Amino acid sequence: MTETEEFTINVGPVHPSTHGVLRFVLRMDGETIKDTEMVLGQLHRGLEKIAESRSYLQFVPYTDRLDYISGMTNNYAYTKAVEDLAGITVPRRGEYLRVLVMELGRIVNHMLFTGTLFLDLAASTPIMYCFRDRHNILELFESLSGARITFNYIRPGGVRGDIPEGFIDKTRALLKELPSRIDEYAELLNDNEIVKMRLKGIGMLNPKDAINYGVTGPMLRGSGVSYDIRKDDPYSVYDELDFKVCTRNECDTYARYVVRMDEMRESLHIAEQALDAIERLQGPVSTPYFPRIFKPVRGESYSRIEAPKGELGFYIVSDGSEHPYRVKIRSPSFCNLIALPQMVKGLKISDLVAVFGIVDICLGDVDR
Amino acid sequence: MSTTDDVKNRFEEVVVETYTQNDGKEGMLIKKESLVDVCGFLYESGFDHLSMISGVDYVEWMEVVYHLWSYTRKENVVLKVKIDRSMPVVNSVTSVWRGADWMERETYDLLGITFDNHPDLRRILLPEGWIGYPLRKDYDLTIDQYVIIGEDGSDVVTTDASKLLRKEVLHDRN
Repeated sequence: MTETEEFTINVGPVHPSTHGVLRFVLRMDGETIKDTEMVLGQLHRGLEKIAESRSYLQFVPYTDRLDYISGMTNNYAYTKAVEDLAGITVPRRGEYLRVLVMELGRIVNHMLFTGTLFLDLAASTPIMYCFRDRHNILELFESLSGARITFNYIRPGGVRGDIPEGFIDKTRALLKELPSRIDEYAELLNDNEIVKMRLKGIGMLNPKDAINYGVTGPMLRGSGVSYDIRKDDPYSVYDELDFKVCTRNECDTYARYVVRMDEMRESLHIAEQALDAIERLQGPVSTPYFPRIFKPVRGESYSRIEAPKGELGFYIVSDGSEHPYRVKIRSPSFCNLIALPQMVKGLKISDLVAVFGIVDICLGDVDR
Repeated sequence: MSTTDDVKNRFEEVVVETYTQNDGKEGMLIKKESLVDVCGFLYESGFDHLSMISGVDYVEWMEVVYHLWSYTRKENVVLKVKIDRSMPVVNSVTSVWRGADWMERETYDLLGITFDNHPDLRRILLPEGWIGYPLRKDYDLTIDQYVIIGEDGSDVVTTDASKLLRKEVLHDRN
């Protein structure tokens, strides 16, 4: 009989499937993962420290660099904390415009997620399809903000500017086209035997553990917990919109993947309603006056929103000066990643790629 | 009845003061000795989601802030403990929420607050050996610190720029 002994193996920090710079130190027994340790911080830029020396408005572009796949939601999460702090209300048309771009941002994120997940699983077609459609949404964003990734669009007091000419028609055409594209992905992937073999029954996380670990977003909803901040602790105008929370009870990676596919469809539904409202409502998209030297009152605020990856929160302490005294970022990627060791324990090393892909992290968001 | 009243009724003389955040969330400042008891009580009464742990340096003292959410009651509550800056120690709540693990490590890493009974309190974002705690208000920003690869392949923090692979001065401070 052959004797085996445990050994450690290093994955990353530069590895195709780590989506950035993350290092795993795995303790292996043959092909089986016994224990996972993660070494973070390769992309730590000290954003929380930078915030203390910037003005409230100057920090908005930095939030784009957090989770650089869905900049719009980052902008909004920070903006909302500032608005809560100072008691600013934004015109309703502005709020609908924010909801529209955030939901399109969620679709962008989930498309990139789908593409890269299957690329990690050695299927190179989905990423082509996803990037093709993601490009169309980014074009819209570009017409709004002038940028494709780092938008700096949603700001305290409103948004950067009103919609350009022809935006409504272009968006409507896109919203009409996208459902068939998402059906196309689903047709290719959801019932695919290989996909099922790779994803079903691995990366289990039961609802109790998921809650205790502080896992949020599609990860939590894939564990059967029907929780969405848009529904349960509504912000912006989400309480006026009709949508449902997508959940699956299987608790495995396949469930988490399908949740995201369903969410894309729900986001399209929300985006349509928001677009109707923008067309219907008259008036400005921003508060008429926002002071150039902005000094909110003393105090603190904590706002959390449903970012594509989970719960994104900003805690801001103000000392009454023009710089925030303290900004603390609760990033969904960081908080979801902590559950990974439990999810991959006892799996084969090839499953690590699948389970890690399903957590859907962005290293800019983990390391900040 | 509000959550603050529940805590006040359950524990005597634990709540030092109650306050409301600018966004309307109810908060309470509690004595740090009873933090774990209060957290355990809140967990039992439905606050099963620890949203965030943040540390704040107020120069004369430090604070650790816990934002909690209840999935069943759909309520927020904020807990705060005040700690001595010369001896920044507070009990770990990892026994209540496992998700607190990394958040406490991060607070330790960036603010130098030690969490007693934490299973594995190490730096998480910065490498071991980093000088100072960046989010403290008296952190010395004038020291340039570099991470180089040590003899055994591990990360080593140094202030000596001459050991860098890229030898030229990276930037001029003045």
